[in-house]
Amino acid sequence: MSAAPDSRSLDAVEADTHNETRLQSLAALRLLDTPREERFDRIVRLTQRMFDVPTVVVSLIDERRQYNKAEVGVGKDEMPIGDSFCRYTVLDDTPFVVEDAAHDPRFVDNALVADGLRFYAGQPLKAPNGVPVGSLCIADDKARHLTDDQLDMLRQLADIAEAELALTDELNRAGDVQRRLLPRRVPELPGYTVAGTCVPALAVGGDFYDWFPAQDGYQFVVADVMGKGMAAALVGAGARAVLRGTSQFNDVETSLHRTDVSMADDLEEISSFITMFVARLDYRSHVLSYIDCGHGIAGIVRADGTALRFVSDSMPIGLLDFRREARAVQLAPGDTFICLSDGLLDLFDSIEEAVEAARITVVNYPDPAEAVKIVEEYARDHVATDDITCIVVRRDQL
Amino acid sequence: MEIDTSDVRGKVAVVRLDGRLNMVAAPRLKGAIEDLVDHGGTHVVVDLTAVTFMDSSGLGALIAALKKARQAQGDLRIAGVNEQVATVLKLTNLDRVLRPFESVEAAADGW
Repeated sequence: MSAAPDSRSLDAVEADTHNETRLQSLAALRLLDTPREERFDRIVRLTQRMFDVPTVVVSLIDERRQYNKAEVGVGKDEMPIGDSFCRYTVLDDTPFVVEDAAHDPRFVDNALVADGLRFYAGQPLKAPNGVPVGSLCIADDKARHLTDDQLDMLRQLADIAEAELALTDELNRAGDVQRRLLPRRVPELPGYTVAGTCVPALAVGGDFYDWFPAQDGYQFVVADVMGKGMAAALVGAGARAVLRGTSQFNDVETSLHRTDVSMADDLEEISSFITMFVARLDYRSHVLSYIDCGHGIAGIVRADGTALRFVSDSMPIGLLDFRREARAVQLAPGDTFICLSDGLLDLFDSIEEAVEAARITVVNYPDPAEAVKIVEEYARDHVATDDITCIVVRRDQL
Repeated sequence: MEIDTSDVRGKVAVVRLDGRLNMVAAPRLKGAIEDLVDHGGTHVVVDLTAVTFMDSSGLGALIAALKKARQAQGDLRIAGVNEQVATVLKLTNLDRVLRPFESVEAAADGW
């Protein structure tokens, strides 16, 4: 059975070029001009094998161009909108098939047809809001006909691509939440210099850091919500708010206990827990009280370059019924407190190696902002699979 | 990740895992153990001998399963952890609730 002649006309396509709904839905995905991704590349490869065609594209239809998020047989990541077949596809939510473009008046002047393209079939790809923004399409240099079974197959492959679009959307939103959890400015503490960073992994994790005035001092927090995506980001936001509130009126031990009790149900619900390092600095007496709830890598690099790794002996948040005891350490002039998230361990063979790398960084870069920049660069160069978070607090030399 | 839950002897259930215990496998593992506990296998040993890698999602699944087992008056123990898994457990201090046993037999001893 041959596909019914499609009514999508050049006029309709031109009228749709500036379709605000589509362009906004597309922009929200933030997929334009992004690096190649295996999750789309594999759909294209699979489609090519199933249909035995030279060309397969996951396209996104922008205002002036067709952006190819993934492709085989094209060799370019974009083409002028005027040559695009996929812009016909996005007009509707049904497949668009041209069995022989050489005999289709809509494509008489088309550059791709002049180059030998004869056959095109595209299944629209919808953004999570239901608006078609692109296409999974196949093309060949000879005229072809698709059976209903084949059209159904193309639709199923497009469903997979659509699921990836939806995942992009979720990751973007989670990333937004995660970024908003981070402090916007560096605190001005008399006699101290502070810096922090969070380098998110490709798949958004649940790391955050925070600092704020608390009872008897200033509080520093590095936390990692187990899990990824929106659920982890939202739980992180909750924990941050609870901890900020309770720390105004309580010491570190009580603040963590309150946070534990408040977050227990939410964490239970998503089978998650939070590893967390909390330190409160009394910047008048220079005593740093801390509790490490399974976060791992924190300590002091003394002015003479020796390192003291903090004891980590508390359970993560969300396991309940564990007593927590704060430990205290005195900061002398030139001493630097540093805390790193466990994502760093992906980049080193052992905890000891990671700790030594942190020590050397602090020794070589006494300015916390510089040290944090080194950690950031290291994380970016080594493509960590987990977020990497770091806080550095240095007591200035007298 | 392969999850084998066929070894059930009364209340003692041994879950054998093979592969990477990450965010993909974690929900399945949690579901599988919950199912065991619901059917009376309240004392669970998770054999991690053939697990090459575990991330925090995997750890989350084990903790959730541990809670489930304890709610049913049972318990959950782990056996055969490699160095990477041991590091994750130690770093998070969770080795105190999920103490690694040498073998499945040692873990189930006394049950």
